[in-house]
Amino acid sequence: MIIDTQLASLFTAGALIVIGIFAAVFLDNLIKKVIGLAFIGDGTNLFLIAMGYKPGGIVYIYLPGMARDWFAQNAAYPLPFAMVLTSIVIGASTMAVMLGIIMVLYKKHGSLKASKILGD
Amino acid sequence: MIEYILMIIIVLGSILALMQRDLLKAAILTGIPGASLAFLYQYLLAPDVALTQAIVGSAIVPVFIALAVYKTRRVED
Amino acid sequence: MDLLIPLMVIVPIICALFLNLLHKKDRTIKAIAITLALILPLLPILASYGMHYFGGYAPLTENPTLSTGLPSLITGTALKTFHPAITYSFQGAQKLFIFILGLVAFLAIMVSLFETKRPSGVYGFMMFMGVASLTAILLTDDIFNFYVFFEIAALATVGVVLVSQVKGNYETALKYMILGGIASPLLLLGIALLLGVTGNVNITDIISSLKSGMVNPQNPVILMACGLIVFSWLYGSGLPPFHTIKSAIYSKALPHGAALLQAFSVFTFVALGIIILRIFSYLPISQMIILGVSLLAMILGITMALLQTDIKRMFGFLAVGELGYIGLGLGLGTAYGITAGLFQAVNEVLITAFLFIGFGTIYYQTGESDIRKLGGMMIKTPLVALLVLLAGFAMAGVPPLNAFQSKLMLIQASIQAGLPELGVIMILMSIVTFMTFMKAFHAVYMRPKPVELEIKNEKIPQATILALLVFLAVCILFGLFPHLVTGFLQTLSISLAGGMP
Repeated sequence: MIIDTQLASLFTAGALIVIGIFAAVFLDNLIKKVIGLAFIGDGTNLFLIAMGYKPGGIVYIYLPGMARDWFAQNAAYPLPFAMVLTSIVIGASTMAVMLGIIMVLYKKHGSLKASKILGD
Repeated sequence: MIEYILMIIIVLGSILALMQRDLLKAAILTGIPGASLAFLYQYLLAPDVALTQAIVGSAIVPVFIALAVYKTRRVED
Repeated sequence: MDLLIPLMVIVPIICALFLNLLHKKDRTIKAIAITLALILPLLPILASYGMHYFGGYAPLTENPTLSTGLPSLITGTALKTFHPAITYSFQGAQKLFIFILGLVAFLAIMVSLFETKRPSGVYGFMMFMGVASLTAILLTDDIFNFYVFFEIAALATVGVVLVSQVKGNYETALKYMILGGIASPLLLLGIALLLGVTGNVNITDIISSLKSGMVNPQNPVILMACGLIVFSWLYGSGLPPFHTIKSAIYSKALPHGAALLQAFSVFTFVALGIIILRIFSYLPISQMIILGVSLLAMILGITMALLQTDIKRMFGFLAVGELGYIGLGLGLGTAYGITAGLFQAVNEVLITAFLFIGFGTIYYQTGESDIRKLGGMMIKTPLVALLVLLAGFAMAGVPPLNAFQSKLMLIQASIQAGLPELGVIMILMSIVTFMTFMKAFHAVYMRPKPVELEIKNEKIPQATILALLVFLAVCILFGLFPHLVTGFLQTLSISLAGGMP
């Protein structure tokens, strides 16, 4: 392969972010906007994970019998992974709140069009 | 090799989900990039994140969106 | 290690959860909430300066017992200075900011308990959660921890708006969340880029790796990270292009909620501004961006305030415009300018909260906030009218009130930095601010009362008047003795200006 896994993951993350921003800005349906926002979050998470990935490395779990120096040189960097765990949960909860607001707004306006509901 | 296929599925799946006119289909299709991301995380040496993403991305998020669609309107106007 | 430092974040969270348990016992909740809220400004006064390392994981240089027996690969390199745990740093500036935040939170919560019909419920929960997250934002030295609490603060803001039952609050909240859904991941992306370049999320470590040459500071990735973090800074504090949505957020919240929300955005502005200055101050473009954006915020915010007919919207725009003064102080880059800017931040939080709660009495009495439908309120409430007038004087910078001192310092700093034009613009904008205020004041208090205006609540609660008097007292105190405030800020601003006094 010409490009390695890490670089390809970074490109995928970038594509997800761009698709998400496009959906959140240009699509008129509120549910689609929310789906787009979820994709932006996913893209950022993938970016962080790709940052901690080590080509040819091992999972960052220290098993008995591993040499300490060998582990330190080959393990992936776990700090971004810990951050992503938090970020996934925050993204899901924010999305739940947004969908709740959308349900209330649908009862009021009878439509899901952003141009009708959000445009003053 | 399988990583590259997963990446293509992620990008195509997300575009496909946004192109649906039926919002319930869009909600279900959101699960495809979510689940593929979970597999990709496994290949990128992050098994614990993959577990969380598998639950949140392929089950919780689509179900939330599907519930919201069920309570509002199914076809985009 | 002072245990009170993490308690400053934990206490409001416990307050929020505990008050939610006591659902529907209004009288008990009133008493307990006021007592608990009183702890908020007291904690920073009692705590002593220091760093708090969560889990006790201090850097190895400060922990000799742990570092014995480790290989020289760790103890001999820069690894020994890195912070392995989330670090909270509590210094003079943080003490002052958290005290002011606690004071505003206490008064806003007290007023809200007496002005809303049902004190129990999510409103108090959201306010306490917001205070907790803002305290953490001010304290934290860890940029990912900052991101987490930035998100919680945004959710708490949305929550305060959602429970207000003002017309159109859901639409505004959704708009704010959609913009936040774009801006917050971009902040995380900026953090990710910094992490990728330096391998750290602790701000002190990021700076030390940039300064010591471990990382090339001219790396274009860092420029990109700077851009992304600045973008989320604009969103979090409501600078242009987000000034319309931020002022709409203020106007859709209840007045006491708005008083607290503007404190949130000012402190987000200050905290993230300090982070940007600390990390990126060596990039000359960062200073230009801060100055430009602040100037734009000041001019757009204040001139758009003049055009509004809704009082809450008007003061929302004024609150955004006043942010520009703080930004100008920070952007000047001299120690004196930064002190002036931070002093202005403290004053602005107090005065805008004062104004929101003061004009909030009108909304409480009539349920109306359109100035075309209001009038003649001076006869009903002369004392409140006087207090509101004094608040307006304070905002415009009339001596001996506090904003006079900070605006004077800002103008002096801009002349010292060789940019007297900024001083001229600041004076002009102060005049426009005062004009806007007088327009609202005249329409609400001095014009004859329209016939169709009906008064719903005749009597203003004693607690509101007490809160206004406390605000006035603090304003006069800071106006007469400005060194009370600037003394706390000096250390931080000298370190931000690169060690130059």
